[in-house]
Amino acid sequence: MNKLTLVVARSLVMAALFAVPLFADDDEALKKDLTAVIALQGLPCGQVVAVTELAKDDYAATCKDGNKYRVYMNADGRVVVEKRK
Amino acid sequence: MLPLAGCASHKTEPQVAQPQPQTVATQPETPEPVAEPQEPAASKPTASSPAPGEAAPAGTPATAPVPSGATQATKPATTPAPNGANPAPKAATKTAPPVARAPTPPVRPPKPAAAPVASTVAAPLDLAALKEKLKATKAIGVFTKISLKNQVDDLMKQFSDHYQGKGKTTTMPELRRAYDLLLMKVLSLLQDSDQTLASEVVSSREAIWGLLSDPKKFATLQG
Repeated sequence: MNKLTLVVARSLVMAALFAVPLFADDDEALKKDLTAVIALQGLPCGQVVAVTELAKDDYAATCKDGNKYRVYMNADGRVVVEKRK
Repeated sequence: MLPLAGCASHKTEPQVAQPQPQTVATQPETPEPVAEPQEPAASKPTASSPAPGEAAPAGTPATAPVPSGATQATKPATTPAPNGANPAPKAATKTAPPVARAPTPPVRPPKPAAAPVASTVAAPLDLAALKEKLKATKAIGVFTKISLKNQVDDLMKQFSDHYQGKGKTTTMPELRRAYDLLLMKVLSLLQDSDQTLASEVVSSREAIWGLLSDPKKFATLQG
């Protein structure tokens, strides 16, 4: 393995280390956002603890209290929160 | 509330970079109930007590007139001390303290009640600036902004229906309740992360309601 390969490998590792917290920040912001959206609809949740992106502007959120919701934007531009089983 | 209507929209609007002039008087109908109830409260006791100028000095025990249960021992004490600078005679101070202490608290001048009124007079409502700030704030997430915008639009429609007498019309108190509730939601989202904007929203609260509750002003907003 030559020197150049080692340098590239190290760079990639460093980039990955810095990238993970950034993704984590985004994820936390999204959870907070969805928590607020669900609360705005007056639905029980407490706090969103897990989010899965189903499509663009379409998320499946799992709440701390066990409730699950689908939060998405419909064709009219309205944010809709649907309870899931 | 109206600025929220555009907080989630993506269209760019000309930035209104007015620095929120702190002039007074766009809010003539802003109720200031705080001052008025306190005024009588402060002045009521003074009616039964002597004027503030008389009572304040060291001669308070001597000058304070006793409303009802005045013992005869205190009456002589009040008459010889018209001037607060003169200390009351020793004989009077012996008997007076228990009776005269009670009226001293109400002698408070009503000035503090007037001070908050002056400070809470709202600045003129700059809807465009408020709207831009709500759009730009990072305290509210994108989805939340869209959701709030939906709710603002719903409320605007309720107002519109109310003024046009369409469908199931809601009463003005109901609209006010809905408006207050929506504003509370906005404030709850802002207050931890963007306190300055939260306080701006609070200070604009009555001015915005003034626009919404007046059919003519509301019509201009719709257009």
